Amino acid sequence: MLLNILGVTCGYGASLVLKDASVQINSGDFVGIVGPNGSGKSTLLRTISRILQPFYGKVLLKGEDIYHIPVAEIAKKMAVLTQEPGLDFPFTAKDVVTMGRLPHIKRFARESARDVEAIARAMDLTDTAGLADRQVNELSGGEKQRVLLARALAQEPEILLLDEPTSYLDLNYQIEIMELLARLRREYGLTIVTVLHDLNLASRYCDYLVVVKQGSIHTVGTPRQVITVDTIKEVYGCEVRVEYPDSTGHPYIVFNDEPIGIAEEDGERRVHVVGGGGSGVVLLRNLLSRGWKVSTGVVNVGDSDWQEACRLGISIIEAPPFCSVGVNEIRQNKEMIQRADFIILAGIPFGTGNIKNLECVLEEAEKGSPVIVIDNIDICKRDYTGGKAAELYKCLLRSGVHTVNSEWQAIQLMKGDRENVVQR
Amino acid sequence: MKAPGQEADDMIRNNFIKRSALFTLLLVFLLASLIAGVSIGAVSIPPSEVIRILFSHIPGFDSYLTAGLSPEHETIILTMRSPRVVLVALVGAGLALAGATFQGIFRNPMADPYVIGVSSGAALGAVISILVQSIGHIPFYFATPAFAFVFAVVTILVVYSLARVGGKAPVMTLLLAGIAVSSLLSALVSLCMFFSGNQLHQVVFWLMGGFSGRGWDYIYIFIPYGMVGATVIFIYARELNAMLLGEEPAQHLGVEVERVKRRLLIAAALLTGACVSVSGLIGFVGLVIPHIVRMLFGPDHRTLLPAAALIGAVFLLVADILARVVIAPSELPVGIVTALIGGPFFIYLLRRQKNSMF
Repeated sequence: MLLNILGVTCGYGASLVLKDASVQINSGDFVGIVGPNGSGKSTLLRTISRILQPFYGKVLLKGEDIYHIPVAEIAKKMAVLTQEPGLDFPFTAKDVVTMGRLPHIKRFARESARDVEAIARAMDLTDTAGLADRQVNELSGGEKQRVLLARALAQEPEILLLDEPTSYLDLNYQIEIMELLARLRREYGLTIVTVLHDLNLASRYCDYLVVVKQGSIHTVGTPRQVITVDTIKEVYGCEVRVEYPDSTGHPYIVFNDEPIGIAEEDGERRVHVVGGGGSGVVLLRNLLSRGWKVSTGVVNVGDSDWQEACRLGISIIEAPPFCSVGVNEIRQNKEMIQRADFIILAGIPFGTGNIKNLECVLEEAEKGSPVIVIDNIDICKRDYTGGKAAELYKCLLRSGVHTVNSEWQAIQLMKGDRENVVQR
Repeated sequence: MKAPGQEADDMIRNNFIKRSALFTLLLVFLLASLIAGVSIGAVSIPPSEVIRILFSHIPGFDSYLTAGLSPEHETIILTMRSPRVVLVALVGAGLALAGATFQGIFRNPMADPYVIGVSSGAALGAVISILVQSIGHIPFYFATPAFAFVFAVVTILVVYSLARVGGKAPVMTLLLAGIAVSSLLSALVSLCMFFSGNQLHQVVFWLMGGFSGRGWDYIYIFIPYGMVGATVIFIYARELNAMLLGEEPAQHLGVEVERVKRRLLIAAALLTGACVSVSGLIGFVGLVIPHIVRMLFGPDHRTLLPAAALIGAVFLLVADILARVVIAPSELPVGIVTALIGGPFFIYLLRRQKNSMF
């Protein structure tokens, strides 16, 4: 057994955070520590990494109490990646990774070729070789995280302890980091113990999960044993569904969606968004959350605006997928527009399929309806009709509409108008 | 195509060459300012003569170098200027080194050799000794430096034990304890000055710092403590690097953080105490030189520490020369000069460098 955590009780000052926790970790395991915020996940990790001395119990590394092993020896076996990057000094990324060799290089000795190789390998694995000469204080959060991981790997440890390694990262880097950890375990036999927030990531990558709840170890087991509707309810206090979406057999948590509150029909201010191609997504969400009664159209079924509108429960005038907007839809759209207090034209790209939307807005504008045009992208760059759309658009701009540069401005404009209601 | 090992070797060699060139250059600067320091003064002695007189005291050179040397110049150089200049260089190096160490330990650009009350402690010690000597009419040889030194070291021990919570002394607590103790000691210094009567001038003069009339014996006082302090600091250069990343990350890299921190604090206090005891309070060197060196050479303490020591020495030598010449034949306290030339220069560097302080 590589790590044996025996009845550890610890905390800060007088308050106990972790009570009588015991976990055994074997060489080559990929272990995830999960649990709600404040349950003691990080405290468990800090205890294992010898930062926090337990009040009772002990942590054995290969059978030896970690407090009987010199810190420098521990650093050769165990590397730690903590949550706060805290790289505020203009060391180069390479300097920082080189520090990972500190436990291996004798005092005053220069780096050997072997050290240089370990550093180069660590930087290759984490894809940080390109950052080598950059100053770490100028890197992004994700880049810092990768540099710190490289430093930990340069230590050439047997165990890697990580505290939420994915928390600062974009989705693609989250997957990348987890894939890298899996690869390190596979190719170098590294034992990985990581605190994870995301249960689905944990389920996908870990052999075992240690579930911590209110300072005690609630369950230890494989993801299939641990990630169940009942356990999640007991530990997190929320209702979820557990699905097995693919052949890998990893359980996957799906949250039971609650519909976003839709305000009552009457006395509500209405706004109609003419969007499509994702141009309206931000608007729809923001307008709805600000209490507007929102409708959108005409959009094609399957379009990203359409998807968002469906998700939000907004009324949609829709056209069949990949078809031109037809007469029937335009008629419906006009009905919607007439009921609305405002019409917003988002920065849509126009093709022959949806140019009717533009014609429709232009007609309304000439009738004097309050139209707001979000003119955030040059019309020539989103005109795929050979100039026809640009021409209509210019007429529209001359017809007395409000022109704004962003969704935000549009919302502000309408908010300002809410106090002194427009006479129509 | 080079083998990876070969490439690594090349890189190591390149770094080594760069560092060697850098330090050779700094040593040349140091030597030049040492000779300038000996040469310039109320009686001006040409550098060539300075070099001949110095070399004439090395066995083997005496026969053909001594011809035509002025015995007065020889006396001035050997008994007055050389010890002074050597002491200035040692104090400059010591303050800069201690400053770099404190800034590293505290990860704080505002830290300087005086930050945790060392200066106030030393000042109180010196003031007490001056007063005791005048009241008792018993002049003790070197009582003032000895008192200053002992008080400086005792102060840091007190601050460290005040900041200690459960076997650890977090840097923030250390800084706060230092500031509190420092204010208390400063108040005591003011109190002593209030009651010092005729001795006020002497007290104030000591506090302003300077090197006038320092002979070889001051160097003998400085050397043991200064060397011990400096050696310990150089030993822990790479631990200081790791500690810049934070105390916990440093421990994960195998650094016994509390032990290293304690040793470094005491070493830096010894060094500061040694400097203050022989020269009084000279501000600015310990705060600014490490910053300048960091801007020029980066934060790696293995380069930063020796470079700070050398540049600190050069800086204080230049300041001391200016202190001697601007209102010759009398002399300005060197602390005034360090602030007057260092301040604007530092501001210039700060404005040029858009980076953060570290």
